[in-house]
Amino acid sequence: MSDLLQRRLSTEDLRELVELAPAQSTTINEEHRASLASRFRAVPNTEHRRLDAWMVEQAGRTPGPFAWSPATARRILGNNALRRVLRTPDTILNAVRDEIADQLLRSVKGYARSGSLGHWLAGVSHPVLGLITAEAVNWATQTLECVRGLSVTWRVPASDVYYDVAAARTTLRGRRDVVIGDDAQRVVVRIRSGSPGKSAGPGLRSDLVVETLAHPEGLAPRRYLGLWPDAGLILGVEGTMENVRSGARDFIRAAVVQRRHNLVRVV
Amino acid sequence: MTLLTESSPGLLTEVLRGDRTRRPHRDDSTAAGLRAVLEDYVFEIFGSERRERGVIISSATMCRGDQSRATTDFSLGRARGVAISTLLRLLVAQVHVENPYDDALAAWRGERPNDELLSAVDHLDADQTARLRADVDAHFLTLARGIGTISSNWWPRTSQRANQMLGGGNVQLRDVVDLVVGSTYSDLASVVLVDVTTSPLAQGAERVMRFHALVQTLRVSVVPLRTSIFSSATGEFWTLDVDNELLVRAVDDLVHTLAIVKDAP
Repeated sequence: MSDLLQRRLSTEDLRELVELAPAQSTTINEEHRASLASRFRAVPNTEHRRLDAWMVEQAGRTPGPFAWSPATARRILGNNALRRVLRTPDTILNAVRDEIADQLLRSVKGYARSGSLGHWLAGVSHPVLGLITAEAVNWATQTLECVRGLSVTWRVPASDVYYDVAAARTTLRGRRDVVIGDDAQRVVVRIRSGSPGKSAGPGLRSDLVVETLAHPEGLAPRRYLGLWPDAGLILGVEGTMENVRSGARDFIRAAVVQRRHNLVRVV
Repeated sequence: MTLLTESSPGLLTEVLRGDRTRRPHRDDSTAAGLRAVLEDYVFEIFGSERRERGVIISSATMCRGDQSRATTDFSLGRARGVAISTLLRLLVAQVHVENPYDDALAAWRGERPNDELLSAVDHLDADQTARLRADVDAHFLTLARGIGTISSNWWPRTSQRANQMLGGGNVQLRDVVDLVVGSTYSDLASVVLVDVTTSPLAQGAERVMRFHALVQTLRVSVVPLRTSIFSSATGEFWTLDVDNELLVRAVDDLVHTLAIVKDAP
């Protein structure tokens, strides 16, 4: 089993984890991609399946139906607001308000499809909108607090990473909140609330494998770091072939368990 | 500097941030020592055996100390507390609050629609609802006057959670600070913790302030500048500078509480 790095969540520790990350990471090729696809195809599915680190951490159990709430909306709004602040310096509160206004505008113009964040925001009451603002401000402030002390350039990506497994009706999703350094030397950070559980390591490896698969040249990040600000902890995995393989195996296992659950449900 | 003040508009925000030139340097070395001391105490109390369920310590546990919980109107009191805490979040987000009780309930419903306490509030009779409404309105008025406007340049965050494990999970410190301002990144200490309570301030309030300071120090590894508590019942506002002495007292409070709750069912 490959090692899981653990540090306290402080500016110095994060800086050290980024600066002292191994200079080289692994690269996957077409053979690896084909091998993964064939393994997924061996686990047949009737519907399109979507897998992410959360499902790996939950041992393949399908999560309940998704519903928007201030807690589920904060990450998108907070990260978008942070990108605004980096582009045009302003207070985080103003950036969150601008972001919400943009989402509402999209909804008013009819561009927000049913079930989208904009569509939901357009239907909530004024006090709930206030609470959503508070949650998004918390998220953006916390993220900025975590990474502002880094000496390397960093950016907030516009979206998570997705990888469609060829001919296996499977989409893998990897969560990422901050990408540190340039593309070839990147360290990826994802932020989670609460405390890390026993399955935090497999979860990070799952995100690592999606990030690697989604890269056009199959280049893994040097490190994939999980930040748990509530617990004040950083856990991390390195971009080695061992970790990428381990993450891929966990995805396959999650797909097998998911299929088993689906069969039981049908019976 | 320790200030115990009656609420006075304009003063509270000054107390929160204080004079920048008199702030101590950022202390990021104390946290590791505190954690080691706490781990030693937890080992002394619980031994090396791993408990099936860890003991959970929150600010409510610290506030009660060894006193039993008062049961009268407990749901109403809790509901008032949640409503005021929600309204504080709206105030800090600079949202106009038209009708405190209705706005608080609407926001609460939007956040946790299946909350049992919220369901209990929905089933209150007319008298109890009127009483709760009047209570929330009065407390909100005191809160809005006391807290005033929090500048968004101060990096305010609300309902900030912390969850710290000690003794391999035998003890879990869980904390929620109603309002945190300032950054842990600046060279000078600048983080201020504010707890808002709907009860009058009593002896337990000081323990709560110290507990917040301790858990925040463990969480971010940087000692905060101040820890404060505001009572929306009386408008009183207590604030303490966080130093080594305060943190050592916080450790003593915690150890004392752990010894009491260790064998509790």
